[in-house]
Amino acid sequence: MPNINMKKYLLLFTIAFQWANASVKDSVPNFNFKNYYNVFENTTLVDDCDACGCSASGGSMGFASMLNSNFVGVRYFNQVYRSTDGLYSNSPWNKENFNTIQVWARIPLTKKIQVSALVPYHFHNRETPTGKQNISGLGDITVLAMYQLYQTHKDSTVLVHTLQVGGGFKIPIGKFDEANNGSVNPSYQVGTGSLDYLLATEYIIKRKKFGLNSILNYVIKTENQKNYRFGNQFNYASTLFYLHETAKFSIVPQVGFAGEVYDSNYQYNQRVRKTSGDIFMGKIGFEIGKDKFSFGANAMLPINQNLSGGNVDAKYRWSVNFNYAL
Amino acid sequence: MKFQLKNILAVVAIACALTSCSNDDDTKITGEGNLKVEFDNIFGGANLILDTQINTTSQSENLKISQVKYIISNIVLTNADGTTFTYPKSESYFIVDEATLSSQVLDLANIPAGNYTKIKFGIGVDQEQFNLGATGQGNFLATAQDAGMMWSWSAGYKFVAFEGTFTSPTVAADTSFMVHTGQTGTAYNYTEVTLDLPENALVRTNITPQVHILTDVAHIIDGTNKINLSNNNMGGMGAMIMGGANLPLITANLSNMFEIDHVHND
Repeated sequence: MPNINMKKYLLLFTIAFQWANASVKDSVPNFNFKNYYNVFENTTLVDDCDACGCSASGGSMGFASMLNSNFVGVRYFNQVYRSTDGLYSNSPWNKENFNTIQVWARIPLTKKIQVSALVPYHFHNRETPTGKQNISGLGDITVLAMYQLYQTHKDSTVLVHTLQVGGGFKIPIGKFDEANNGSVNPSYQVGTGSLDYLLATEYIIKRKKFGLNSILNYVIKTENQKNYRFGNQFNYASTLFYLHETAKFSIVPQVGFAGEVYDSNYQYNQRVRKTSGDIFMGKIGFEIGKDKFSFGANAMLPINQNLSGGNVDAKYRWSVNFNYAL
Repeated sequence: MKFQLKNILAVVAIACALTSCSNDDDTKITGEGNLKVEFDNIFGGANLILDTQINTTSQSENLKISQVKYIISNIVLTNADGTTFTYPKSESYFIVDEATLSSQVLDLANIPAGNYTKIKFGIGVDQEQFNLGATGQGNFLATAQDAGMMWSWSAGYKFVAFEGTFTSPTVAADTSFMVHTGQTGTAYNYTEVTLDLPENALVRTNITPQVHILTDVAHIIDGTNKINLSNNNMGGMGAMIMGGANLPLITANLSNMFEIDHVHND
């Protein structure tokens, strides 16, 4: 009991502290909230859905395998966007291509505690009127601990529930380039330059061969050394999966939806207009496992989106991964 | 394991606490900095391209614009605390020229650090300055002459020069037009506009904000007051509007052609 209380207090304290902090930052004196439909520069600044580039380390793509709860592996994902400066009725749209190779792992520390780590390497490119631009580099590393709050005993019922909660950090390893921040898509970065906090929950319900995996997570972002703070981000996803096992293989087809909601970015504690947004996507994929190895692929298509005041348009995302079960 | 969880949470809590102490550097703002004011010409929302782009007015006239120049002057910035900063008058005259990229960004220096909420500027040269006589104009007289923004000393400065060719339902062939504003025999026609900044311009020793102004040149003849070029096409020689009844209407239109799109604080 004391342990549980202690945990609760620490968690409450952490959350309360962040809220307090956030509210201070958000109440910038003298800020003029006149909301024109304008965005940032044609050459220099603009918005950012962190979703796109650097923070794409997980987002609503999640960091779980439906096949194995614990694993190490490599995942590649590709995200394609179009963006415009939104300055003129005849502003061009430029294609942006975000590529990430991620070493990911979900390692059990104890029966109830697992630690996830995501180490991304990004190589992004975009087409501009003046030519193709590339950036690449090691991205921000995410470390997340999940605690199993509740699990039904396996034999007790047809429905098996698992509820996990956790928290973690995103550590600013990737380089944040301020000049780039002036681009149309502020997320065209390999890192946010900020230490971010992650609060996460995962709920799995299974009945026979069917299962539903749902995640909710919230990313609290802090101001980086360039006085830029990406907006806090809320991610959610729900994936229905079916486990088909043969003597040699397991195949897990899956279908679901995922979404991301971004708060506005702040620069020098001043809200940057047209940087908030949201996106809702459908996704479909599969995993195939044999012995300890598995291969997965999935694709996501936007169903509804409003990113950066309409100046960023997500086209699609897809990923493949190769895992080794622990 | 519970022990470990506690540790993890404790580390999270401590890290949050430590990183939450952000410096609020707004409390003491000292020193001087720079400010850039960009004038970005558009025609009805579209980025303006000289010579080739066909721009259609609400009067169904199609304009190919060959020249847009205007004098910006007497810049005054309003601080969030209500005080104002007037840019030194002797340095506060600029010619913005669509054909010259470097002229479109005014570099203002030695501005007291502060959070600025408004900008005021004049279109043209104010009468007080003009009354100083030719010798009182400093280098700007030569600058204006070189840019073709002056008729003669007695006739004075051209405040806005807007030129090109047009066609219309009644004018089939490309016909030239020239709109020049400035003083007339009866009115001086200098105007000032004040614009609210959509976000504060945070002038600091290490931050040079850039105010991005969109200038919709369609307003010159197609603003609150609609001026039909075809009706001013004197004997088919072109529409030359440099005075007369239309000039005060055009001058009145000028104050509505500026809008601030955004402010970058980089």
